[in-house]
Amino acid sequence: MSRGNQIASSGLGRLFRGQTAVDFYGRRRIGFVIAIVVLLATVGSLFTRGLDLGLDFEGGDAWDIPASEIFGVDEAKAVLEDNGVSTNGARIQRRSSDTTDLITVQIEEVPQDNAVQITNAFAEAAGVETDDVNFSFTSSTWGGEITDKAVRALIIFLIVVSIFISIRFEWRMALAALAAMAHDVLVVVGAYSLFGFEVTPGTVIAFLTILGYSLYDTIVVFDRVRENEGKYAGVRMPYEDIVNISMNQVLMRSINTSISSIIPVISLLLIGSGLLGAVTLREFGLALLIGMISGIYSSIFVATPLLAGLKSNVGRKARRERLTGDNLRAAVIGSGVTGRVGATVGSADGESNAKGASHDDDVKTAAVLEPAGRLLTHPPRPRKKKRR
Amino acid sequence: MKRRLWFSLIATVVAVIAALAGNIATSNAPILGLDLQGGLSVILAPEEGATGDDLLVVRDLVRSSLERSGVAEPDVRVQGSNIVVDLPGVKDKEEALRSVSVSGIVELRAVVNFTECSASIPAVSTDETIADGRVLGSDGTITVDGDPADEVTPPVEEESIGFLNDEAKTSFRRSAPDPDADPDAPADSDPVGEAPIDLAPTPTPTIAGAEFLPTLDGGALCAGPSQASGEVFERDSASVQLGQFGQFSVSVDLRADGEDAWNGLATQCFNRLASCPSTGVDTDGSGRPGQIAIVLDGIVQSAPVVNVPVFDGSVSITGSFTQEEADQLSDVLNRGAFPVQVTPQETRTVSASAGGDSLRAAIIAGLIGLALVLAFLVAYYRWLALVIIGGLTVWAMAVYSAAAFVSGATNYALSLAGVTGIIVAIGVTVDSYVVFFERMKDEIRNGRTLRNAAPRSFNSTWRTIWSADLVSIIGALILFSLSVGSVRGFALYLGITTMCDLFVCFFFTRPAVLLIARSKFMVGKRAFGLEVASS
Repeated sequence: MSRGNQIASSGLGRLFRGQTAVDFYGRRRIGFVIAIVVLLATVGSLFTRGLDLGLDFEGGDAWDIPASEIFGVDEAKAVLEDNGVSTNGARIQRRSSDTTDLITVQIEEVPQDNAVQITNAFAEAAGVETDDVNFSFTSSTWGGEITDKAVRALIIFLIVVSIFISIRFEWRMALAALAAMAHDVLVVVGAYSLFGFEVTPGTVIAFLTILGYSLYDTIVVFDRVRENEGKYAGVRMPYEDIVNISMNQVLMRSINTSISSIIPVISLLLIGSGLLGAVTLREFGLALLIGMISGIYSSIFVATPLLAGLKSNVGRKARRERLTGDNLRAAVIGSGVTGRVGATVGSADGESNAKGASHDDDVKTAAVLEPAGRLLTHPPRPRKKKRR
Repeated sequence: MKRRLWFSLIATVVAVIAALAGNIATSNAPILGLDLQGGLSVILAPEEGATGDDLLVVRDLVRSSLERSGVAEPDVRVQGSNIVVDLPGVKDKEEALRSVSVSGIVELRAVVNFTECSASIPAVSTDETIADGRVLGSDGTITVDGDPADEVTPPVEEESIGFLNDEAKTSFRRSAPDPDADPDAPADSDPVGEAPIDLAPTPTPTIAGAEFLPTLDGGALCAGPSQASGEVFERDSASVQLGQFGQFSVSVDLRADGEDAWNGLATQCFNRLASCPSTGVDTDGSGRPGQIAIVLDGIVQSAPVVNVPVFDGSVSITGSFTQEEADQLSDVLNRGAFPVQVTPQETRTVSASAGGDSLRAAIIAGLIGLALVLAFLVAYYRWLALVIIGGLTVWAMAVYSAAAFVSGATNYALSLAGVTGIIVAIGVTVDSYVVFFERMKDEIRNGRTLRNAAPRSFNSTWRTIWSADLVSIIGALILFSLSVGSVRGFALYLGITTMCDLFVCFFFTRPAVLLIARSKFMVGKRAFGLEVASS
């Protein structure tokens, strides 16, 4: 038999072979505490600092400056920087027709004095009279209507998704998935508020992307929980155990997926905005990075413990303490195959994966610990027990 | 079974490559957004005396009109005293001007006897360009909503409406103003209530302000002075309904402060007063009530007969419309709510707002990121990573083809946010392989052979991926159908990448892995850090 059946000695090796036995449920309070801290920080920051809404939401100042050989987009950018205006949220475009050739600069509103000063600076840089530089106010492009429709669509989406998850899984999972999603969005909004990043329409898209990613990730994890629930249906497994087993089983998948999702975003940050200097990519990248890390974290440390908490009061009380340590490890390894864990004792020929099978004398626990061998040798189907 | 798997694999690859080749051959590429590629900008100047609030209202109306007419993600703002409309993906100036000529005030005028007008048709030049598809039946009747008894009123015979001029028949069309014209020149619409230039000698007109107005089907009507504007209608309330006999009707709500103006006009027409006389004889021989002409920029869009004197809250216009005609009338009634007239002044080309390098930087960074991801996956999954590389290639080609096709068909532009969204989608797509392979790893470790583990793993993986992706697809569908602007663009690309993920997962990854698992290819090779034993 391949060496995959031995328990690896190092933690990394165990992770690699899917033999981890982390008691996620036992540490759920850590996740909740962090979630509450994040929530408070976000709400606090939103109240004290608010969000820095960009040009597209609030409007701002605009200049039309005649373009020439000596004055183009880059020069306009330099003028703004010289006057202490961040070019990050600025929109600088060349607008030309047969008769006119202008550089249009739009920035967030600045005080009147600064505006006059910038007007003069533009005129000087472009080599024209101050009167030739046209200053005006510009309105938002993101009307209230867009927000209203987007919010309405989002609410309907969340309702439909809750119904979908409730049908496909169950309503507690819907609740937990939405809580995890709210957590992720709050983390990102909080980061924007704390760091004072400017919110642009692109940011809204980044928020939506994170929302979708978070739901996706949580559902992948929940699907495994659901599957294990069915697998242990015959043995009255405590829900906390099912959650722990599922978490450990999907741990490697979560790590691999996280690495694969985060590498492109880091590349966007480091190479796109760092080396190649595309500043616009930076905030996208940052929002996405924070959101994705939060999304992966929340599906393991927020959504699933919350689900276990919601479920623990449901149904019959489990008879024994939840599995930990090597017992948990054995269960994680053992149920990693498709099939159903029966309530009868395992056959004699299944080589024991369970090093620490001396946990208790309960027959059902033994069944949990050695399911793989039995599943693969097709034991007789256990008789259905009468419900008590 | 084996043959079916090969068929699925090969058919998928061939179909995707063919789609990509087709798109490249027809140089069909996704339209890039304003931030990436720039576009065309049109400056709309309002008439004198427009307030800032008026302009903001016009901004929203222009944007929603543009979205309705299929120009996606325009950037509309008030700058100074003008409205600036930036259009992504539009290269042609004519097209830009045509798409923004969405304003214009709707007038409601009574239809009067043609003797009130001069014999000659007012100055509407006949050499103007065609505004596509603006053909609308001028016949119709008005009924109050919910009063089916009036719906049986037969549509008005065209000839009975008013004066028909053979010369004019061919060429009355609304047009976009000539973009090369002096920007300060007024638009070509007829000023409200202007008296015709040539007054006919006989018989003497008694109604001041009556004039001939062309109808959309090439005829002409003699219309009295404007008595109300499109502002009597509730903004954005007009909609097309399909009646029980398959006929289309347009219904629109009246604004509380506009109801009196509308009813004032309707009562005149219903009572066949001199200001709105009967214009024909009904089938039963009695005089038919008068007609109200709905006029946009001097062109009669519809002239329904008024069948009730007083309307309560809403108006329904029935007649022999085609669906297209009904849609257009509904658009006209919606746009009638423009508080001020705006005129396109000038078009300008706009450069990319995010800086020209952003797209290049995003693509380079994305490709490097992708290469790193693949390197990681090869290091981890060894030989099985071949499937991932193949699958991601097929996925990328499918996404590009779908994006090119959809953006060509719907005008949805790919903005920088969309590009980063696609980069994030790489992670979600890779996840389907990771879920699959991790599951296979578990099964093999527990003693199953690769051949046995692969189909079982796929079944459970497919369930997982399907559930998770369905949530994204639901999100994409809802956001796309209910929201506007860039949120809609996001939904579009979310939908495309997710659909392609599901497609590739089932039609490429599944056959590829199952075939590898059956073949001797993997025997003795390392995968998942396990030796694959011969089965």
